[in-house]
Amino acid sequence: MEIYLPIAEMSVHWLILLGMGGAIGFLSGMFGIGGGFLLTPLLIFYGIPAEVAVATTASHITASSISGAIAQWRRRVVDLKMAAVMSASGIAGTFAGVHVLGVLKRAGQTDIVVSFAYVILLGTIGGLMLRESLQAIRAARGTSPPPVAHRHNWVHGLPFKMRFRQSRLYISVLPPIVLGLIVGILSAIMGVGGGFIVVPAMIYVLRMPTTVVLGTSLVQIVFITAATTILQSVSNYSVDVVLAFFLITGGVIGAQYGVRMASRIPGEQLRALLAVMVLGVGLGLLYNLVATPKDVYSVSAGVP
Amino acid sequence: MKPALALAALVGLAPATMHAEDLVSGLSQDQIQITSSYAGTDIVVFGAIESPDTGESAGQRDVVVAVRGPDADFSVRRKVRIAGVWINRDAIILHGLPGFYYVATTRPLSKIASRETLDRYQLGVENQKPKSASTRSPRKAEPFRLAAIRSRIRAKLYGEAPQGVEFLGYSLFRVHVPVAASVPRGQYAVEVYLFRDGNVVSAQTTPLYVEQIGIERRLFHLAQDWPFTYGLATVLMAGLLGWGSSFLFRRTT
Repeated sequence: MEIYLPIAEMSVHWLILLGMGGAIGFLSGMFGIGGGFLLTPLLIFYGIPAEVAVATTASHITASSISGAIAQWRRRVVDLKMAAVMSASGIAGTFAGVHVLGVLKRAGQTDIVVSFAYVILLGTIGGLMLRESLQAIRAARGTSPPPVAHRHNWVHGLPFKMRFRQSRLYISVLPPIVLGLIVGILSAIMGVGGGFIVVPAMIYVLRMPTTVVLGTSLVQIVFITAATTILQSVSNYSVDVVLAFFLITGGVIGAQYGVRMASRIPGEQLRALLAVMVLGVGLGLLYNLVATPKDVYSVSAGVP
Repeated sequence: MKPALALAALVGLAPATMHAEDLVSGLSQDQIQITSSYAGTDIVVFGAIESPDTGESAGQRDVVVAVRGPDADFSVRRKVRIAGVWINRDAIILHGLPGFYYVATTRPLSKIASRETLDRYQLGVENQKPKSASTRSPRKAEPFRLAAIRSRIRAKLYGEAPQGVEFLGYSLFRVHVPVAASVPRGQYAVEVYLFRDGNVVSAQTTPLYVEQIGIERRLFHLAQDWPFTYGLATVLMAGLLGWGSSFLFRRTT
């Protein structure tokens, strides 16, 4: 049965939507990621307008992160103060990002800028992950020395120090604010939760204890993606609730199977697989940008 | 409004012409409702020609059925290659181009009437013209207009069926007009023309309404009129689905 998507203004078979949501959910369960950076390009490949893909994916990330966030909250492994600081600056970043997206939409450059941002993001993340996982595979065979730990941290030299009791930190409030802003902007422009930036930054830059990193980042992601969904609805009218419903339903089912599959494959090989997939999606988007289009004219309804 | 005016003038003239032929036509439905399960449909335009002479001049008459959707505005952009990447650069806005256009004929249009006649009645996919454009220069707007038409054809919103008029006997005819799921909402006009020796001798216009009903329509209006509520509802739905699923799957495993 074909479903009419009221905002994307196209008819799609509901099984395709459920399948896409399920596939991304499977991957997010398997790799412990939100999956936004794979879902948005997939929707764009399928022909959903970029601004609708970006805005709707944000709500998908809310759904895929919320149960984890609640579970971590119950276990009291969330630094609420840190999550509050980052969510506040993140929502400010979302405002900025949604505004930028609106400007791009009126200039007719959304698809190109979003695709280009994805090529850079996926290329960088995929490259780093592939290198790291290959090193880990080599290390497991005992041919490479373990990575050297960070020695000093410039974060401790910054002003406006604040105490984060749960993380046992007394650091400047500026790095969490900047981190939140970056994630908020990325969430609005690319529809990602930003876990792939937040988690490493919390560990290596903020030096938060790893026990609270996961919970804090999940809570912060839920708040930022929820804010992104609402702001995109208000400013750009680009959230498709019917699309979101099918993607999320597929996603929560797929995630359950993904989690089970993850326990059967060694971690470093799993990461190498994800890295290859991320690079593949990035290359696909790059190809779309540089390949000669079938028609150099593009038509969109309405006046920008 | 050019074709409509031409039609009105013609209806006034019709009784005075030598070949007073009457055209009657109707639609299988005067309303199309797009619902969640709508995957496109066909409407049937049928009609009859009541002509005083029979037989000998049958080869020279032609029937043209055109379905025209509500006017819409289109932004057309041209990509250029900059540093290896294709980027949108020139943009022209076309105001008042039909959002849907389908024409079925007994023979290819170019054989039925002269260019001028087809132009006057705006018949044929290539003859669809915007009311105005964001550029004054018609020469500059032309490739953009043609690009808009190409994209409408690809989207199955514009179409031509050169042998789409099916005659059932001498005077009865029938046309199937495919209406895709993505057609714009609003008032359509179904125009039926009878040509004889390249001239319009009779014409008739019937309105057709395309509406979006059911939950999508309400969601669309909610998104437009109450965007904050709509966004909040989407977030709540996402939260409930995400949170609820963890309970559901915990019990089954």
